Amino acid sequence: MIVVKELTKRYGSTLALDNLSFEVRPGVVTGFLGPNGAGKSTTLRIILGLHEATSGEALIGNRRYDRIRRPLHEVGAVLDADAAHPGRTAFQHLACLARSNGIGKSRVTAVLEQVGLASVVHKRVGGFSLGMRQRLGIAGALLGDPAVILLDEPVNGLDAVGIRWIRGTLRALAAEGRTVLLSSHLMSEMALTVDHVLIVGRGRLLEETSMTAMRDRFERDVLVRSPRADELAPILTGLGATVTRTEDDGLVAVGVDAPTIGDAAAAASIPIHGLTPRSASLEDVYLEMTSDAVEYRAATERTA
Amino acid sequence: MTTLQTRPDTTETAAAAVPSVSAGQVFRDAVASEWMKVRTLRSTYAFFIAGVGAFLLGMFILFMLIQSFDAAPPENQSNYETADPTVVVMPFVMFFIGAIGGMLITSEFTTRSIGPGLLAVPQRRTLLAAKATVVGAIGLFGGLLFALLSFSGATLLLGDRPAPLNPWPNPTDALPTVFCAAALVMITCIVTLGLGTVLRSTASTLTTLGGLVLVAPVFAHFLPTTWQLRFGSILLPNLTPQIVGANHPWMLSQAGAVAVAIGYAVVALGVAAFAFKRRDAS
Repeated sequence: MIVVKELTKRYGSTLALDNLSFEVRPGVVTGFLGPNGAGKSTTLRIILGLHEATSGEALIGNRRYDRIRRPLHEVGAVLDADAAHPGRTAFQHLACLARSNGIGKSRVTAVLEQVGLASVVHKRVGGFSLGMRQRLGIAGALLGDPAVILLDEPVNGLDAVGIRWIRGTLRALAAEGRTVLLSSHLMSEMALTVDHVLIVGRGRLLEETSMTAMRDRFERDVLVRSPRADELAPILTGLGATVTRTEDDGLVAVGVDAPTIGDAAAAASIPIHGLTPRSASLEDVYLEMTSDAVEYRAATERTA
Repeated sequence: MTTLQTRPDTTETAAAAVPSVSAGQVFRDAVASEWMKVRTLRSTYAFFIAGVGAFLLGMFILFMLIQSFDAAPPENQSNYETADPTVVVMPFVMFFIGAIGGMLITSEFTTRSIGPGLLAVPQRRTLLAAKATVVGAIGLFGGLLFALLSFSGATLLLGDRPAPLNPWPNPTDALPTVFCAAALVMITCIVTLGLGTVLRSTASTLTTLGGLVLVAPVFAHFLPTTWQLRFGSILLPNLTPQIVGANHPWMLSQAGAVAVAIGYAVVALGVAAFAFKRRDAS
């Protein structure tokens, strides 16, 4: 369990985190979502003791990270795929980390195999692609078989196979009862990976919800196709829906769900040729929610 | 690519399952990890080889000096300066071995691997103490190796030539100087670690180190005599003769020179610990 309480962080006059509070539960993949500059990386760095909060606290298992004596056994994290010395081999990089936590070399070999880097164990990290370095970072996070896993933008640089692999890996880790928190600025990626989502903007928590609830909440309308649309429209209006006609003789009903429309049409013996619930894409929803929290924006985006 | 091997037990309680370890064990593990880090840095070997180069160059300079001494008329031989490798070789050894100490932390800042390092050992004072232990050991044993090599080489080259060219007519007279020179290389390493921790840049750290052990002694010669002696007395390369009580022009007593040497290490580590603890990492 990760608990963040009223976290505030200032860098000079810049307020990076503004009284941010949330909890991350075990057993689900939690997404930490927000535009660039929203405070995601800062939050993860404070949780992991790399940055000091101006006020508030972040606890993992009721302890500050820097109070844990062998943290790799309890928490695994990847904050930066490039955070490895390019002159060391993959094995050497992990062995140095493992040795500091009393983890043996056989475990280093095992996690390198686990992330698919077995064939480049003795290759220098400087020659790795970004995707390979991401995998190496994840191998480091898994070294101590930890109960809590935090990943900052883990799919950056991964190809389609790698992205699918990391999705499966994270879901499997959560299914084992681990606490998994990953950050991203890409809603499309989160939609396929996480169960629960925390949306932040300008250092504040904008929304905390399950991915399913988020999808349901932003369902917009139902597109109805029927050869007797003229007869169906007043029936739907009678059910409390707002109905408008499309150019191709379809109906768009707002305020009534698809099963209700189907039942009403069947009761009136009106044939239905198409019934399509339409929702805003999660990407649209996310952009709508964070529109006021985007720190940097091109001139063309402002006028769009 | 392999598939994920899931483990059978769930682990929200893993923290409780992790065996508790003592602070001493955490420190020993951190030292072992830092030792592994320094062994796997290519720059460690590059600087060590550069130290060998400095030793060979120093021996060549001594050889030339001895050749010149032998060719000089007897009445001029008493004007020759002493063939002390402390002057010729050890400042360069201080720089190259000291650089290994600095690289142990600056390489982590420049490659951002300080992040994973702190995730593995988040107690910053423990991590810095582990680095200082490893760096100190490298400085002491590296310094001892080069000091012994230098003094052995000088003794072999000098043979039975008289003072003042030969500073140690009896070879055992050189031992205090050897050990003191090694100790000062150790202190230089610790000072460089401190500099690297504060400056977080390899270029800045090595430039400052070069200024401290190579440039400042030369710069001191351009000062008025009183200031040359005051300033030169506290420079690391000039502490060895003051600590062993050899014949030298500097101003510190033996105890004073020891205090200045220890002061370098204490101040460097103290400032480094303060900065390392206070500043956000990476």
